[in-house]
Amino acid sequence: MRLLSSLRSGAAALFRRAQREGDLDEELRAHVQNRADDLERSGLTRAEAERQARIEFGGREKFKEECREERGGFWLETVWKDLRFGARMLLKSPGFATVAILTLALGIGANTAIFSVVNAVLIRPLPYPYANRLTIIWSQWGKETRGPASGPELMELRKRSRSFDDVGGIWATSGTITGTAEPQQVRLAFTTANFLPLLAEKPQLGRFFAPGEDRRGAVPLMILTDGVWRSQFGANPGITGQTVRLNGNEFTIVGVLPRDFKLLFPDGSGVAADVQVFIPFLDDLEKRERDTGFLRMIGRLRRGVTAARAQSEAEGIATQLRGEAKEYADQSLHLTVAPLQADDVRLVQPALLALFAAVGLVLLVTCANVANLLLARSAGRRHEAALRAAMGAERKRIIRQLLTENLLLGCLGGTVAMGIGWAALKWILSLQPEGISRLIEVKLDGWVLAFTLGVSILTGILFGLAPALSVARRDLVGVLKESGKAMATGKQWLRQLLIVSEVALGCILLVGTGLMIRTFASLLRVDPGFRPENVLTFQLSFPGTRYGTVESVTNFLKELRANLASMPGTQAVGGVSHLPLDEGKGNWYSYYWADGAPAEQQNTVMADHRSTLPGFFRAMGATMLAGREFEETDDAAHAHVTIVDDTVAEQLWPGQDALGRKISVEDSPRGPYQFTRESVVVVGVVRHLQSHTLTSKGRGQIYLPVPLAPRPVYSIVVRTTESVQTFSAYLQQAVKKLDKDMPVANLLPQTDYVEKARAQTRFVTVLAGALGTLALLLACIGIYGVTSYSVAERRREMAIRIAVGADSADVGKMVLRQSGMPVVVGVIAGLGLAAALTPLLSGLLFGVRPSDPLTYLAIAFVLGGVGLAACRIPARQATRVDPMIALRCE
Amino acid sequence: MQAQILPGTLDLLILKAVSLGPLHGYGVLLRIEQISGGALLVEQGALYPALFRLVRQGLLEASWGTSDNNRRAKFYELTSAGRKRLRQEADGWNRLATAIASALNAQPEEV
Repeated sequence: MRLLSSLRSGAAALFRRAQREGDLDEELRAHVQNRADDLERSGLTRAEAERQARIEFGGREKFKEECREERGGFWLETVWKDLRFGARMLLKSPGFATVAILTLALGIGANTAIFSVVNAVLIRPLPYPYANRLTIIWSQWGKETRGPASGPELMELRKRSRSFDDVGGIWATSGTITGTAEPQQVRLAFTTANFLPLLAEKPQLGRFFAPGEDRRGAVPLMILTDGVWRSQFGANPGITGQTVRLNGNEFTIVGVLPRDFKLLFPDGSGVAADVQVFIPFLDDLEKRERDTGFLRMIGRLRRGVTAARAQSEAEGIATQLRGEAKEYADQSLHLTVAPLQADDVRLVQPALLALFAAVGLVLLVTCANVANLLLARSAGRRHEAALRAAMGAERKRIIRQLLTENLLLGCLGGTVAMGIGWAALKWILSLQPEGISRLIEVKLDGWVLAFTLGVSILTGILFGLAPALSVARRDLVGVLKESGKAMATGKQWLRQLLIVSEVALGCILLVGTGLMIRTFASLLRVDPGFRPENVLTFQLSFPGTRYGTVESVTNFLKELRANLASMPGTQAVGGVSHLPLDEGKGNWYSYYWADGAPAEQQNTVMADHRSTLPGFFRAMGATMLAGREFEETDDAAHAHVTIVDDTVAEQLWPGQDALGRKISVEDSPRGPYQFTRESVVVVGVVRHLQSHTLTSKGRGQIYLPVPLAPRPVYSIVVRTTESVQTFSAYLQQAVKKLDKDMPVANLLPQTDYVEKARAQTRFVTVLAGALGTLALLLACIGIYGVTSYSVAERRREMAIRIAVGADSADVGKMVLRQSGMPVVVGVIAGLGLAAALTPLLSGLLFGVRPSDPLTYLAIAFVLGGVGLAACRIPARQATRVDPMIALRCE
Repeated sequence: MQAQILPGTLDLLILKAVSLGPLHGYGVLLRIEQISGGALLVEQGALYPALFRLVRQGLLEASWGTSDNNRRAKFYELTSAGRKRLRQEADGWNRLATAIASALNAQPEEV
């Protein structure tokens, strides 16, 4: 209420200002007149009486100000007056105002842009109902802590847990839709009936799956995403009830998801954001194998239950399960409950926070810069302030006025910054950083506006306080006696301190940028174990209805290989179930052990499992370390062979030759999901291929021939000199000839996957580079400004020095020495601070240590050089001072 | 002899002066001089911020009128809240004054 009434009287004060001012004037004038009347009566002349009355009354302006203050609603009136005054002062020096506002706009605009990204990715809740209660539940399998769950795990968790409203499961794969104009490969996800309602309010058309519709024997139903509904079904509003042939089976469409629906699963979960078609499992999940994990689980916490509580409950359930079934004990099952959003951003968070910190540094540099500009201007302002103080203005009041003026400057900068931020954001989005999937949602919303306003105000205070205090210092007489121009050395040390901090802050930023650039350079140099140049890849999927036997798949692949091999330009053709660095498909990994290993050694070595076509390693440009790769002769009758990578070989037989050894594997030579344990002979050892990231080694790999390990989806790899266009035309024909209903999907150069694996580092590096450049630019402007201002100030002194015989080169050196000192000190301080801070970045770095001496040296050299160059220009001007002209000026 | 008024007592004096009848600012000044027998000296300009303060606190009410010498002037009147406050402050002041006076008059034999 107090605030409200204070606001009301403030507003009243503002609107009836003129009248109230008039009243105040009149009242005080009446007083003086009355007093003068009395004095006149006592015998003075009228003129003298009035003069006497005025003297007796005292400092009229001061009392008026006190009256206004007592009257209430004063603050708003003051602010208004100060704003108008501030605007007038800025208009009086347009050059200063332009430079200050532009500098601020750059600093604040960069913050606006980066904050928009941080807001969209880290702060804003996921676009799901009750997003803050959604969790992802990982199943631990051996050393793999972020593994998928088996069917029985999901069902047991759902049955036993009291912490969750609901737990849903999803498994993503690829499928083929036929019966439309062209056969189409789609990203397909099997879900439990309750899964989609966890992630969407309601479908835009039709309905979700109902409970029970995911069980074995239920009618096959399908839900489409908006994208596939538009591209494949012409956005037909009457689509529900129609049937679609998927992998050879009829599915009835029951719903279309909302337009903005997106699956936002963490990297490495094997659930791609671009799933197009959802179908129910149509299976009794509780009857699946306990130790075959493939499900990703999403749980919605009950209202008021924390993720930590759910975690301890889930862990309790895992303990029960381990006690109840051997399979769970063998896989040492644990369950991890993590908030979905936190888990989603787990990998990008450090990078975004580092960028946010960097842009904060840019803002500080900006503040230092503008503070310097203000200080330079403060010589003149000090005179004005002293004059006002002499007329009775309180120091507090003057500081307040100056601060208001600075806030105005900050807010003007902030306004321009919105434009710059918007442009910067366009640019950031044009970088298309893969792996920051939520970036697509970035926009300038209310929070961003509020942030920008807040930053503008904070900036206004930050850069304005020191100059305001320095202007409003007490020594009135001293200031008034000075001419107003010759305030040469007043706050030299403060300005130098600002330069030191500006350079130091810029230095930290540049060292960080330098380390990111070195990281990116290492990523460019890293050997992924294959040569991605001149390699084209595409995906084929083999629906069980038409490719029911293993022979049908191997025959198709054999004929296709032969056909593509005969194409001009082809050097090698191969294929694999999981393409290196393609994270769109659920990974497949398991325990492998040497044949006959004792039980306690069986569950120790885990490796990625790859079903492999002959020619794969040749086509990929991988390095065979020993033995041979698969050939067409490794057919169904001779399928019990394997190739391992050096990681697996070293783990199973450290220091020994792996060739000819036997490994126990589990696979399904009789068809998908009919697992049997087999013994296979190692016929080749290949160098490790980077499968998931370019940087971390990860699990080893084990390769099995297709007849032993048939899969429904393969990526074909062709090393060719042909362009994508030429190859594509030929390929379509070749595939059509074998099967007119077989779609070709994801025809891409392998280099695209490598690019994608580098995308996040590239994104961070480019942004860090932009921020570093901005900081360098601002620091240069600051150094140049201060130096040239101090040279201009000291023209007279220089002139005298030259007039009494100093060499003009010596004068230049003196200026360079004095202005260069803060730069050198700043660089040294900055390097020290950077050394202390950069270990925080180590999670983002690769192939370079945070204390990399080369980076530090290069940055010291660049920043020092550029900084000194910025001093040098004004220093040269100092040498050209003509003593006669300079001295006559005064 | 004239004395500067004690800090905080200006408001009380103004209330007392105005309680004897509506006054304009200069009138308040003259009335204080008069009722204190010319012993208290009020800085003229300082009177006005005090008047504004008392109006804002709702203890005085101001209205424009015409003075004896036919000048437009702002007249101040005591509100009922002002009357109550004057009573309280006067009581408090009297108690304080009595206490200080008796303390200052203390004789050695009384201790």
